[in-house]
Amino acid sequence: MGRAVRMGVGASMPVINSAVAINGIIIGTGKGGMEDCIKFLNQIVQYEEGLLAPGNFVQSTSNAVAAQVGMMSKNKSYNTTHVHRGHAFENAVIDAVMQLNEFPGSNFLLGGVDEISEYDYTIEDLDGAYKKESISNKDLYDTDSPGSIAGEGAATFLVNDQEQNAICQIAAINILHSEDESQVADMFQQFITTNLPAGENIDLYISGESGDNRTLKFYTVCEKLLNENTPVVRFKHMSGENATASSWALWLACHILQQQNIPSHMMKRVVELSSVKTILLYNNYKGIQHSFMLIRKN
Amino acid sequence: MSRIFVTGMGVISAVGNSVAENHKSLVEGLCGIRNELDLFPTKYANLLPFGQVRISTADLLKKLNVTEPGVTRTTLLALHALNEMLQDAGLSLADLSSSETALAGASTVGGMCLTDELYADANKNTNGSPYTSSYDCASVNMYLQKHYKMNGIINTINTACSSSANSIMYGAMLIQHGFAKRAIVGGVDSLAKYTINGFNALHILSSEKCTPFDEGRNGLNLGEGAAFLLLEKEEDIAGKKVYAELTGFCNANDAYHPSSLSDEGDGPFLSMQGALKLAKLSADKIDFINAHGTGTENNDEVESRAMLRLFSTPPAFASTKSYTGHTLGAAGAVEAVYSILSLIHQEVYPTLRFKKTIPSTGLIPVASYKKMPVQHVMSNSFGFGGNCSSLIFSKA
Repeated sequence: MGRAVRMGVGASMPVINSAVAINGIIIGTGKGGMEDCIKFLNQIVQYEEGLLAPGNFVQSTSNAVAAQVGMMSKNKSYNTTHVHRGHAFENAVIDAVMQLNEFPGSNFLLGGVDEISEYDYTIEDLDGAYKKESISNKDLYDTDSPGSIAGEGAATFLVNDQEQNAICQIAAINILHSEDESQVADMFQQFITTNLPAGENIDLYISGESGDNRTLKFYTVCEKLLNENTPVVRFKHMSGENATASSWALWLACHILQQQNIPSHMMKRVVELSSVKTILLYNNYKGIQHSFMLIRKN
Repeated sequence: MSRIFVTGMGVISAVGNSVAENHKSLVEGLCGIRNELDLFPTKYANLLPFGQVRISTADLLKKLNVTEPGVTRTTLLALHALNEMLQDAGLSLADLSSSETALAGASTVGGMCLTDELYADANKNTNGSPYTSSYDCASVNMYLQKHYKMNGIINTINTACSSSANSIMYGAMLIQHGFAKRAIVGGVDSLAKYTINGFNALHILSSEKCTPFDEGRNGLNLGEGAAFLLLEKEEDIAGKKVYAELTGFCNANDAYHPSSLSDEGDGPFLSMQGALKLAKLSADKIDFINAHGTGTENNDEVESRAMLRLFSTPPAFASTKSYTGHTLGAAGAVEAVYSILSLIHQEVYPTLRFKKTIPSTGLIPVASYKKMPVQHVMSNSFGFGGNCSSLIFSKA
């Protein structure tokens, strides 16, 4: 098993082994198993397209995580993999929302997985995704340079339409492709107006700021639209940047709602916190893919 | 739940660069599989047959007027099919960029068609080729989004060889659940040294032109292509050309093996059964099945067995992969177009080169072109990882 599959399976099995029957497996991954992919590619070149072992090839397909989880749990129901880069996890969330509308009372495994591999790091580095200078993760937001720091991980969730015992509700989600910050600001405002119930406040704002000075403008215009008393949290100095970092952010939102506590190193704007019930999450990937999620606890 | 209709189509494959050309080849039994791959250097170029699209990457760039760097053949094939679909449906640029228009695409190879460039970049043999952000599966739809300034939900699905059947399902659900007013759905894959060597390592590439459902079948041929369809709901189709209704779809998993199907074909059985249930059709109402029918020992036997389990007497069926080769992530969408052509023209296209029935199943595919009444067509797509999906299209 490649790294992404190991992480994905490792994070999925506790959900699979929870007491409920799972009616489907929905995974988002930007890259799937790049480590296996390039290992197989290197075999092709090294052995001049001779007789190759197929293991790396089979493991390299993006659907290997969902497939492996399905196989290990003998789950023959809905099984799919969304791979739309910085919207891979967001489309998985939208898929889960639709499946639950369609099949009330069912339960789904929802997850986001991406790995750091040597090869993918090289390609992303050539593409300008990472900072050229060496920095400490604590200084990520104080740098004024392009790129972020590499991240990896897997975050999985048991989702259903039962409010009782739920950690939180994913109340709304929307996504947008744009390189224009005013369009993003409009969408941000519209998302809040449409989805925040009248009389409620955003108790906490989670910002996907990545330390990349090329994408900072999007975070700046969005943050300006918030009430100045709204506490702001950043997380990419912990998770690093990758296509499905928003799945880690959703886990963080759940964790904060459960603990009602936030480590101080995550606070960008410290305001006296009363109880946190409503969280807004905005994330941006590579200056083009934007996502908005509203997470609530009653 | 809104009824979903198909109001536009575009396709490019080894048997033609348009819906009309594909249709002509299907009717006339013209196979697009040849031993003359010339897209990139590989030792299998003349050793194995492939379903290569008969237009070079340079000509695609020129024809589509694409001048930006870093655009791959996979993206160009997709753009070619999308442009045909847009023209066919008469969708305006304003509607295309509306936040209510979704794009649900699919690919398994993405920009990895540039296997040699990827090798050089990944191993740091370059200072960065123009393709460093073009290798992933999403790169195709990222380009299409930017090219047409699309503002709706954009997605890419990769469930191996069933990818674009799932993107069709996803698009239909985006409409039914209020995330979009209309959805552009489909998929693309181009030939790659990567996939050729991968399938070859699994010993499932035939050295001859494939013979789906034949006793002597010995593997599949890889192909390439792209197809897009426009899905709209019943309330929005008045006055428009309507090709078919998408009445059923289902995704199920075989949960058995990473690269082969279980003996009894639970995944294929469940996906076909689920699609019938959603369409509220009894099994005997299906007139024709556009089978997955890759030509491998495992798939064709298991798919046959699953058909025998579900249908007391299986309906007429055939595999158009005998024309195009297996177009992987595009197959579900390409074959959706072919299924709809069967509905429009009330005809079915045969499995080419069929000679002898598989003894253990006794099933005989349609082996010659024929006119017949077709009200409901089922289209199957099964992939690695046990990912099985079935669609049902019905006469509008």
